[in-house]
Amino acid sequence: MQENNHKKVNVRLWKRIVLIAAVFSLLTALLLIANYIQLNRADPVNTKTINMLVERLNQNPDDDALRNEIRELDLLARKAYFTNQWQIRTGAYLLLIGIIVVVVALQIIKSAKGIEPEIPAEKGLDFLSNQVITRKWVSISGISLVGIALLFAFLTHNKLGNAITQASTSTQTDTISSKLAVNSNNTIETSTMVSDSMTTSEVAENQDTATNENDVDTTTKVLSEYPTYKEIIQNFPCFRGPGGNGIAYQKNVPTSWDGASGANIKWKFAVPLPGFNSPVVWEDKVFISGANATTREVYCIDRNTGKLLWKAPVVNVPGSPGTSPKVTDDTGHAAPTLAVDGRRVYAIFSNGDIIALDMDGNKVWARNLGTPSNHYGHSSSLMLFNNMVIIQYDQKNSPKVMALSTTTGKTIWSTAREVKISWASPVIVYTGQQTEIILSSDPYVASYNPWSGKENWRIDCIFGEVGPSVAYADGLVFAQNEYARLVAIKIGEKPEILWESDEYLSDVPSPVATKDYLFSATSYGVVVCYEAKTCKKLWEQEFGNGFYSSPMMVGGRIYLFDRKGVAHIFSASGTYKSLGEPKLGEDVVSTPAFADGQLFIRGSKNLYCIGK
Amino acid sequence: MKLHKFQIAKYNFQFLLKLPAIKIQTLLATMNSNKIKIIVLFILLGIQTVAISGPRFPMPEFESGHTQPPTLQPEPRSDFFEIFDAFVLIAALTVITWLIHKKRSRRGVFWVSIFSLLYFGFIREGCICSIGAIQNITLALFNPSYQIPATVIAFFVIPLIYTLFYGRTFCAGVCPLGAIQDIFALQPVDLKTWVQKILGLIPFIYLGLAILYAATSTDFIICRYDPFVGIFRLDATFFMFSIGALFIITSVFIARPYCRFFCPYGVLLNLISRVSKKHVEITPTHCINCRLCENSCPFGAIEKPVPVKEIGNKNTALRKFMTLSFIIPLLIFIGGWTGSQFHENLAMVNADVRLANEILTTDLQDKTIEFSEEIKAFKSSGKTADEIYAKANEILDDFYIGGWILGGFIGLVFGITLASVSIFRYREDYKTNKGECFSCARCFDYCPVKVES
Repeated sequence: MQENNHKKVNVRLWKRIVLIAAVFSLLTALLLIANYIQLNRADPVNTKTINMLVERLNQNPDDDALRNEIRELDLLARKAYFTNQWQIRTGAYLLLIGIIVVVVALQIIKSAKGIEPEIPAEKGLDFLSNQVITRKWVSISGISLVGIALLFAFLTHNKLGNAITQASTSTQTDTISSKLAVNSNNTIETSTMVSDSMTTSEVAENQDTATNENDVDTTTKVLSEYPTYKEIIQNFPCFRGPGGNGIAYQKNVPTSWDGASGANIKWKFAVPLPGFNSPVVWEDKVFISGANATTREVYCIDRNTGKLLWKAPVVNVPGSPGTSPKVTDDTGHAAPTLAVDGRRVYAIFSNGDIIALDMDGNKVWARNLGTPSNHYGHSSSLMLFNNMVIIQYDQKNSPKVMALSTTTGKTIWSTAREVKISWASPVIVYTGQQTEIILSSDPYVASYNPWSGKENWRIDCIFGEVGPSVAYADGLVFAQNEYARLVAIKIGEKPEILWESDEYLSDVPSPVATKDYLFSATSYGVVVCYEAKTCKKLWEQEFGNGFYSSPMMVGGRIYLFDRKGVAHIFSASGTYKSLGEPKLGEDVVSTPAFADGQLFIRGSKNLYCIGK
Repeated sequence: MKLHKFQIAKYNFQFLLKLPAIKIQTLLATMNSNKIKIIVLFILLGIQTVAISGPRFPMPEFESGHTQPPTLQPEPRSDFFEIFDAFVLIAALTVITWLIHKKRSRRGVFWVSIFSLLYFGFIREGCICSIGAIQNITLALFNPSYQIPATVIAFFVIPLIYTLFYGRTFCAGVCPLGAIQDIFALQPVDLKTWVQKILGLIPFIYLGLAILYAATSTDFIICRYDPFVGIFRLDATFFMFSIGALFIITSVFIARPYCRFFCPYGVLLNLISRVSKKHVEITPTHCINCRLCENSCPFGAIEKPVPVKEIGNKNTALRKFMTLSFIIPLLIFIGGWTGSQFHENLAMVNADVRLANEILTTDLQDKTIEFSEEIKAFKSSGKTADEIYAKANEILDDFYIGGWILGGFIGLVFGITLASVSIFRYREDYKTNKGECFSCARCFDYCPVKVES
């Protein structure tokens, strides 16, 4: 029968067919792979030549010949791409046919050979031995499987679930914060970003009717690395409030007091060393600093009693220069305002010393950033963003903006700036799309990514010795400087100047803005209100004493201290409406801080707590 | 700038024209939303239609006045052809069962294999297949909102019914995945019994995973990692094509590697076949112990006679029985506990859990990094991170329970496997292993015993 099959089927022929078909299939497969790799590399809409020509066309949009050339090249590239695809598909069919021929031929050969049953020479392992070996290997593989699974499981055990639960809790906390603001009766929209999870907030205008304090979730007491949005807005962490935008979120801030008689003055604290920095507040603690050419100190005062809780000398700072730089009397050695996040308080001085102290006054870390070359003295205040201290270090030599770790003081990022010396402070805003650090210096206003320090945009629009920081509201950044101009920059994908004005320019106080209004005070005593979107002047008011302190908006009111210590309180609206002019009885150049029912202002010698 | 837009649009336009030819895997690979992926996957696998309601990209605006042709949509497979497919399945099963049980024809089985490979494989492009239907059935059981098509149920149930009565005749030559491997089984080698046993555990694990992922609406992993469907459609990704080619090349030497060591549907057929009413036998009458068939099965599914002397004493058997009675529940518990500890790793396959994990580790407002497509989709969806976290938490809870069940099941499989190699089955004749035999009819020709006509 076998011989018959051999006679019927030309095995030799089929073997040759197998060989030819196999070689053909192999070659086809190789070509297919090569074609596939080539196709994967090709991008018909992004060829170098076409891109170059498109670039040229952008420069000469009327060049029709070039346009047609691009179209022809584009068509060719696409044709090549799709031809390649066709080749792959056709090749796949050819490969399939080749393989089918091989398989059929092999089956025919096998069939021709017929079955040749034979009795196996050896019976192999006996039944029981086979069972023993199999049991052994099944057990080994089972143990291995469990071991591998447990290894992976314990390497990542509960990490994901815990992380998600924690993140979920954190998000819920921030949602409560947002609700806290949104639940208020009358709101003013602002967009100050102070935390990565914060969204556009609506701030209580009438805080007397705002959410009851009891509604605030106080269960999250375990300290995370940095505060939540809720914690930040419940406190006053830095110069000009959360984000440094001139807006505070406290309630029941007093509108009347009298320094001479002590009416509504809760306490006053004589600051041992001079300084022009403003107070910052975290829960029951108020912080300020003072310094002269030889001594630098940070003070923590009990918010309720006005007693000094602790005083921390800034000493043994690695790299600190032996002598302090020369500064002018109106700037001093402790002009920058501190920053506090409830975990630590941070202070910087004229010689570049920066220190982090825990809430009990113990040094956490300290370093020297290099003596700033600044003919008046360094005055830019510290800003906080998540776990970073943001420092605008616009000095003469290598100006830069940098972020230090709040926990270690190590530089997280540092970005060089092509600017002149500046005395302004950083402002952090949330635009609805992203968080940005906005800085103002000669010659530009610039935005930086707070995570990387990378510059987002810059606009040349300002010059001189820039003192005022920017204000931000509803997509507009307001920057100004005396002898330069006031500009409103519309940010977004392509930031541009929306409007500009050269009237009433400030050289020290920073402006404050809502989505409708911009309030600006000048050092020569004029306060002006503009329509934010149009530059239309709504009102101006002249006061006698001039301002170095910046206006603060809280509860729908503007608080503005003049240089003689008179607070001008007026409605944050399009018409000027005075709500009080209480006197402190002491010169003021700093900017007030707030707590619920209280206002803190540093006079030339004392720190005051006003309110109950 | 305008030209650049035109270029992109034109490219997209070309892509649109090719949409009807897009197959499941290609389409899924291009989709951003995993939810959409799952839904489309279900639709495509279940009812054999490609449902695309509109253009994938905005229509380009041609400056030349070119009129936009209407978007072509593939027609869904008509009800007639769906029923027709079920009838073809029944017909093929009937014919092959008749060829195996009545005609004892290996040649007949081979030609039915060729037919099935062409029809269910290359013409029907490997879908719907009974193997993938496991997932549809599971999803329908766990997700009441999922409407399972009748054809899917038919493709799942009919082979099981035939197996219950006649053994694994479906595997013999009707399943296109089996067929493509079978025709390449040219030089099969024998595998050691213990190797077969260990590799034979993989389908159980694969089945458990497939059910877990389908029950949690995570993924249809059987379809996603089907090594042959891309070959049937000639559109496999390079990776999947390589896997398919590897299986085929392996088939030449190790017969049907996917069927024996991966196929999750084979697990069900294996179990049902063990209790089948009628099953193929090597010899048509009585085995004469000639040993000619001993090496005839390329799948190692022929069980040799076990002489009485090898059985061992009764005390040993009793001790083993007692040990197994203790070990099997213990293995179930260990497996379940291990699975529960491993649940987060298992859950990382789920798109929502992956997204939550990615959100956790990504600075969403950092403009310096290029976000993944998933993050971009999340950002444009308007959902909050909290919603994603909540969903991920729910899914993790499901996987915790699923981990216990899956691990317990795997522990049980290991326990039963140990039991199967610890007990004695006294046999005098050469028999087919009813569970593992594919009814391919190869062994028939090796048996010298013939029935007189």
